[in-house]
Amino acid sequence: MNKAKSYGKRFAAIMVQPVIAALLGLLVGAVFIRLSHENPIEIYRNMFEKSFFNPYYLTQTLTRATPIIICGIATAAAWRAGYINIGVEGQMVTGAFTATIVAIYAPLPGFLRLPISLLSGVAAGGAYATIVAVLNLKFNSSIVICTLMFNYVANYIASYLVSFHFKDSSGDGLSLMTKTIPENTHFLQFSASNTLNLGIVIAVAVVILFYFMERKTVFGYESKMTGLNPDFSRYGGVFERQVMLKTMALSGAIAALAGMCEIFGYKYRYTDNMFGSASYAWTGLMAALIADLHPVGILAASIFLAGLQVGGQAIQRTSSIPLQMATVIQSSITLFVSVKLGIKLVKKQRKKKCQDNGGQSNREGGGAA
Amino acid sequence: MNANLLAVIMNSTIRSTTPVLLAALGSAICSQVGVFNIALEGQILIGSFTAIVADYYTGSVYLAVLCGVASGAAVASLVSVLQVKYQAADMVIGTSVNLLVSGLTSVLLYTAFGVKGSFSNPSLKSLPKINLPVVREIPFIGRVLEQLTFIDYLSYVLAAVMFIYLYRTVQGFHVQSVGKNKEAAGSLGIKTLKIQMIAVVISGALCGLGGSVLSMGQVTLFTENMSSGRGYIAMASASMGQSQPLFIIVSSLFFGFCQAIGMSLQNVIPSQLTLTIPYLATVVALSIFGRKKLKKK
Repeated sequence: MNKAKSYGKRFAAIMVQPVIAALLGLLVGAVFIRLSHENPIEIYRNMFEKSFFNPYYLTQTLTRATPIIICGIATAAAWRAGYINIGVEGQMVTGAFTATIVAIYAPLPGFLRLPISLLSGVAAGGAYATIVAVLNLKFNSSIVICTLMFNYVANYIASYLVSFHFKDSSGDGLSLMTKTIPENTHFLQFSASNTLNLGIVIAVAVVILFYFMERKTVFGYESKMTGLNPDFSRYGGVFERQVMLKTMALSGAIAALAGMCEIFGYKYRYTDNMFGSASYAWTGLMAALIADLHPVGILAASIFLAGLQVGGQAIQRTSSIPLQMATVIQSSITLFVSVKLGIKLVKKQRKKKCQDNGGQSNREGGGAA
Repeated sequence: MNANLLAVIMNSTIRSTTPVLLAALGSAICSQVGVFNIALEGQILIGSFTAIVADYYTGSVYLAVLCGVASGAAVASLVSVLQVKYQAADMVIGTSVNLLVSGLTSVLLYTAFGVKGSFSNPSLKSLPKINLPVVREIPFIGRVLEQLTFIDYLSYVLAAVMFIYLYRTVQGFHVQSVGKNKEAAGSLGIKTLKIQMIAVVISGALCGLGGSVLSMGQVTLFTENMSSGRGYIAMASASMGQSQPLFIIVSSLFFGFCQAIGMSLQNVIPSQLTLTIPYLATVVALSIFGRKKLKKK
């Protein structure tokens, strides 16, 4: 299905919808800004200036986009196979917390410290997601609910550990956080004047790798077919159980990477509820939905959403609009995308295509089959 | 175990059960008509928020509850139009509605009261507590049933009403048939789309009621994301109770009990650990009562 003749045309058709949705989402935001007695145009101008059109803020946006991009890919990895993982946050916490603790406490020689910490984090995140997959296979427990429950469990347990076992008591002792990770595990920072670091390169690499995995590997194909049509893929000899375990483990491992980029590249320590309050995982989920799970689309959508948040923080300082306005705009965009605003256009194209290749319909919706 | 402590835990169980039970009934009515509604979380949260706002501005708790119910239904109508009428993907609608409500309540909290995080005010009234005249004198049971609100009692009545409607009336069987086989039901002249849409709105009203009791029952305040996963716990509860209202009472009481135990153990074990109990219990319970229907979702 990827060998459409008019790739450019298809790309345009795919892009129309998110763009219209983004404009409508901003319109919804404008209504609420107006309700707060502020001038929407002024606010938006300010917001975009302080997220995209200023080099310093642009680096802020990209730093913030890093975990969001990776979370988006983690979400897409599971959703495209039909496994609705909404526990990316929990997997992120588990992985990043494990990696942080290993980096601080494990007795390792300097050059091994970073790679071993990262590997243990990836393993922990993957394992955490695999628990749910195993529960689903053995006991048929719902993936949606279990992954969500595991978010709370991970956050609370990390909170417990950071309060009682790994707390940094060198400062005032009031904030719940770990010690900072050793200097030699910090990600490379490109410039001393901003926060941009190796994380963004990793994020882009994840996008590219995922793109190729999705299209060029057997696992990518099997996993996609399981999502599109489980009966067909079973008939075609796909071992659904294996694919599922691998898919969830992959999703969890990528999620862990998101958390680690934030800590090793930017924050250098785990602070209680740091991922929950920043809601990286949910923003990544929204980016994935807006982009219809397409990796390159996720990259673009994540940067846009991160910009909204960075801009939101800026206007929070100077106006009466709270940061959560960004969430309202983001989720409105997601809703508008989901109702298929370009529905006529898409339908027409699809119809044409159906006639072309003998009734085989294109993929449907947000992977929530 | 000492009887007084037991009574306190049972009392706390009943109070924690109510929001879960109401939302689980909402989830059940949706799955009875074959709609997978995961926007329950948002429907509860908007109920909590609106109830507090209405409480603050009108000073009437009953109006506040009504507003809570109405707001839950309003969010649910959005879900019903997008998801049922326009057939958008359920997971996408559900998660984005939940996120939308979470952001919206924070924004409006700031616009309306100028605060961030949480809002409480001495002028807020909480739901009146009922102490039944004769029952309060009975030693053990008096403790168990003390200081409950009318919504606590109402939730069980609603469960019973729903059971009777669904399983003892012709119309109820029509409703069930929509979930069992939509095409067949449609061919009998049942307005399947209308029934599905109404069911989703009813689930919103129930969640709104649950949300109101959450913010005006035991405590009288609104905190950002105060529903804290109850919508999903309610889905688990409905799934355990096989969408049958009377079974759901039992399964919801179980989740209420887990929350109550968690709260009462807080003095012994660090609260971060006890707080995980309801969530872990949900996973365990789902694993024991796992059903085919929710597979892959």
